[in-house]
Amino acid sequence: MRRLMLAAAITASTVLYFLVPDAAGAWTRPDLARMLFFHLPCAFAATLFLIAMSWFGWRYLSTRRLEWDARLEAATEVGLLFASLTMVTGILFSQVQWNAWWNWDPRQTSFLLVLLLMGASVALRGALPDEHRRASACSAYAMATLLPSIFLLFVYPRLPTTYSLHPSTTITNGELVGIYRYSPILIGLVILWFGIVAYRSKVKAVLLEKEFITHVGPLESDLDPAPPARVGRAVRVSSDGGPEG
Amino acid sequence: MDEILAIFLKEWRTELRARNGLFVSFTFSLLSVVAMGFACSIRTPSGSLGAGLFCLTLLFAAVVSLPRTFLSEEDQGTFELLRTLADPGAAFTGKMLFATLLMLLTGALLGVLFPILTGLEVKQLDLYIVAIVVECLALGSAVSLCGALVLGSPNRWVVVGVLALPLLIPQLAMAIGAFRAALGDGFVAAGWQNVAGLGGYALASVASGPSLVGAVWRRGG
Repeated sequence: MRRLMLAAAITASTVLYFLVPDAAGAWTRPDLARMLFFHLPCAFAATLFLIAMSWFGWRYLSTRRLEWDARLEAATEVGLLFASLTMVTGILFSQVQWNAWWNWDPRQTSFLLVLLLMGASVALRGALPDEHRRASACSAYAMATLLPSIFLLFVYPRLPTTYSLHPSTTITNGELVGIYRYSPILIGLVILWFGIVAYRSKVKAVLLEKEFITHVGPLESDLDPAPPARVGRAVRVSSDGGPEG
Repeated sequence: MDEILAIFLKEWRTELRARNGLFVSFTFSLLSVVAMGFACSIRTPSGSLGAGLFCLTLLFAAVVSLPRTFLSEEDQGTFELLRTLADPGAAFTGKMLFATLLMLLTGALLGVLFPILTGLEVKQLDLYIVAIVVECLALGSAVSLCGALVLGSPNRWVVVGVLALPLLIPQLAMAIGAFRAALGDGFVAAGWQNVAGLGGYALASVASGPSLVGAVWRRGG
C-alpha cells in the first residue's frame, strides 16, 4: 500500500512539473526554470544522507554492531544516487540558463567533490574483503569526510573571494514566488520519501545478505571466478588415428 | 608517549637503513618540478598558476610517498604484530609523525627548487615558509589516515589515492590561496587567513586521526 502511495506521489509530482506555468523573471529559458523542482531537493537529500553517513559511522565505531554498517552502506549508496542526480540536473540547468555545461562555479565544483568523496567511500567498501575491517574503515572514512564536506558545502561557496552563479539568497529573500515557492517543497518531500524508502530497502537487503552469508555461505558473486579453461593444442592426426610424426 | 617515540624512531631507523621513502619522495618531487620548469621555460607563470602547480606537486608527492609507512607493514606481514604489541593510537601517531617529517623534508626541497626552476619570485617569504610547513602538516596527517584505512585491501596502493584526493581538495584550495599571496598575486591578509584555515584543518586531522584509526585497529578492525 505504501509503495502504491509513493508511486502515486511520484506520478503527481511529474504531473505538477508539467502543469506549472513558465517562470516569471530574468531566466534565459523560463520554460526550463522548473528543473529547480528536482535539482534543489536532490541536493538537500544528498546533503542529509552525507551527514547521516557520518552519524552511522560514529555509531558503528561506538557499538561495533554490523547493523550500523548496513545503514552506512545504504546511506552511502542512496546519497551517491542523489548527488549524481544533483550533478546531472545541475549540468543541464547550467547549460540552458547560463549557456555552459560546466563553468567551475564554486557550488558546482564543491558538489562534484562531495560526489567524489561518496564515490571514494563506495570504492573503499569494495576494496576490503574482511567484513569487520571493511565496516571499521568505511565508518572512519565517513567520519573523516564530515569536515571537508561541511567546508565544501557550507563554507567554500560563501567565501568573500569566490563568486557563484548560484544565488544564495533566493529562498531566504522570498524571490521564488507563487507556485515556484511551494512546488520544490512538495516535490522535495516526495523525493525525500523515495529516498527513505530506497534507503530502508537497501538496509533490509544488506542485512538479509549478511544473514544468508552467516547461515548458508558466501554468495555466488563473492566466490572466486571459475578457473580458466584448459588450453588445448591442435595436433595433427594421421590416417590411422594416432598423432602424426 | 614512549610508544609514539618508539614507533617514530623505528620508522626513522628503517628509513635510514633503506632510504626508500626519502628517495621516492625526492625523486618524484624533483621530476615534477623539472617538468614544470620545462613548461615554464618560455614564460614565467602568474602567481596564481604557480601556486596551483606548486600545490599539485606537493599533493602528488604526498600521495605517492606517505602511505608507504603503513602499506609496507602489510606487505612485509608485520602489521598484525605491530597491532598486537603497540597501542593502535600510539602506533598511528608515531607513523603519522614520521610521514609528516618526510613531507616537511620534501616540502623544504620543493620550496627551494620550485621558484628557482619556474622563475617565480617569492614576494612574502614568511608567508611562503609558514604555508609550506602548515600544508605539509595537513597533508601528512590526512594521507596517513587514508593509508591506515586501506590496510587489508588487495589493491591498497590504488585505493589510497582514490580516498585521499577528494579529502585533500579543500585544504589544497586554502593552500593555493596562501601561496598565491606569497607569490605576489592577491592580498597578503587573505593569504594569512588561508594559512589560518589550513592550520585549523591540519589540527583537526592531527587530532582526529589517532582516535579514528585507533578505533579501527583496536577491535575487530
